[in-house]
Amino acid sequence: MTIETLSDRRRGPRRAPAPTELDRASNGLGPRPVLVLNNVTKTYPNGRNALKEVDLVVPEGDFVFLVGPSGAGKSTLMKLLIRDEVATEGTVYLDGDDLAKLPRRRVARVRRKVGIVFQDFKLLPTKTVRENIAFALEVTGTSRRQIRPAVERVMALVGLTGQAAQYPHQLSGGEQQRTAIARALVHDPRIVIADEPTGNLDPLISWEIIQLLLRINELGVTVLMATHDADVVTALRKRVVALEDGHVMRDELGGGYHRRG
Amino acid sequence: MISFLAFSISRAWQSFWRNAAMSIAATATMTLMLLLLSGFWIVQAGLLAGLEFVEQKVQVVADLNDGASESAIASLQARIQAMPEVLEVDYVTKEQALQRFQASRQAQGQEDLSGYLQVNPLPASLEVKLRKADSFDLVQSALRADPVVDRVKNIADLAGRVATITDFLRTAGLGLLAIIGAIVLFIVINTIRLAVVGRSEEIEIMRLVGASDAFIRWPFVFEGAMVGLFGAALTLGVLAGASEPLGRFMFDFFRILPFSVGSISRDVALLVVGAGMGLGVLGAWISVRTYLIR
Repeated sequence: MTIETLSDRRRGPRRAPAPTELDRASNGLGPRPVLVLNNVTKTYPNGRNALKEVDLVVPEGDFVFLVGPSGAGKSTLMKLLIRDEVATEGTVYLDGDDLAKLPRRRVARVRRKVGIVFQDFKLLPTKTVRENIAFALEVTGTSRRQIRPAVERVMALVGLTGQAAQYPHQLSGGEQQRTAIARALVHDPRIVIADEPTGNLDPLISWEIIQLLLRINELGVTVLMATHDADVVTALRKRVVALEDGHVMRDELGGGYHRRG
Repeated sequence: MISFLAFSISRAWQSFWRNAAMSIAATATMTLMLLLLSGFWIVQAGLLAGLEFVEQKVQVVADLNDGASESAIASLQARIQAMPEVLEVDYVTKEQALQRFQASRQAQGQEDLSGYLQVNPLPASLEVKLRKADSFDLVQSALRADPVVDRVKNIADLAGRVATITDFLRTAGLGLLAIIGAIVLFIVINTIRLAVVGRSEEIEIMRLVGASDAFIRWPFVFEGAMVGLFGAALTLGVLAGASEPLGRFMFDFFRILPFSVGSISRDVALLVVGAGMGLGVLGAWISVRTYLIR
């Protein structure tokens, strides 16, 4: 697919998203990339280099594990993707948009292309499962008529239809995380970013959540999952990107959690 | 736009009740602060009315020549009455002056001395009541310039003293009101800030799922307005309940003042509702700003 059709799909004014770089990035990778990091360096105001010259291309439909010790730069990378932070050098493209050049009023719209799942779920305790999921659509101005079927659909997808009227404190950890995943999916994101989604769950429940993310990936949603769970990464033989001290140390298909050999 | 408004208002309503403890704390603070503000406002209004009353007691008295014609006196009276500084001009004839003198002698239990004289020695006079004590100079020279006037009693000393005291009290009252206003502003804004900070996670989630600034800000602003309105309603309720016994107590005091209870209660109602809404909205706006897209 060419860049022209890509920008045609977007609403709003057309902007040329630096086609040469994107073309180069997507060369030989088949499907067009949802996410492109080009020589990205992030230096915080306190002088810490969280990311150094990172190149990363995530094609549409990919399932990528992001691994590495604490402080390797995983969190910073995720913050860049939702434009909570802006790269000091280099460019981050999300679905064709250069995030650094995004005008402030378009940030919210571009964030809706990303669904985020956290280790600590981040559900609102005063809202039921259904309300928590609907919340993601309500605050983006979706009409009530569209919200209802969309919420029912994702609740069915994650298997929470029966718990729709319950509050987070009435749910198990796994159910809470499934609610969070449903909320991340409800606005049809281009990519789901999961930041250690199994970090607070026991191994059996963790597998449930991983299975759910795989199923979502099979439905065509790109998934980027940061994790410490070596067993999961090694068993699934998906693409693994290993960060260490701000550098990409390894980027291989079908890799394990640890370096081979 | 309509659906955005409906969303914001319904969300504000919902979160106000679901975070009842915080909302009640904020509303209670708002109510107490508005009571403080309006209570002081009422005292200030009473003080101002009292000062005005005292100032109107200051009058310039001009004794008139015995030979002055009625028409000359009438034209002078009209001219003085037309001055903006003048509240009222009374013409006291020679006969009235004599009667007053006799009445005051009698009231003091003393002999009526006027019987010893063949003619009435007292002059006719104009008594000019002023709106402000400090404008006596102007009125005085206007009177002096007229040939009908024999002499003007010098009240510079008294008028100056009254003006000094009333000016001081006005300035002090205004200064105190400003200080109390500032205290109320900071306390209310900080209370609402606490309520917003308590929900920072909710705002965080809104940001992450791609809510625009307007969708994050306006529900909180409406909620701030709700706190303000509820606080104002409670305050007015307390004031209305207190006005009955208080009014009876202060009736005699107010009756002598140029002061209408109707206009003051309207002013206080406007102040309470305006300050409540304004502070609630301002507090929410400032508190949420920290969390918007950087």
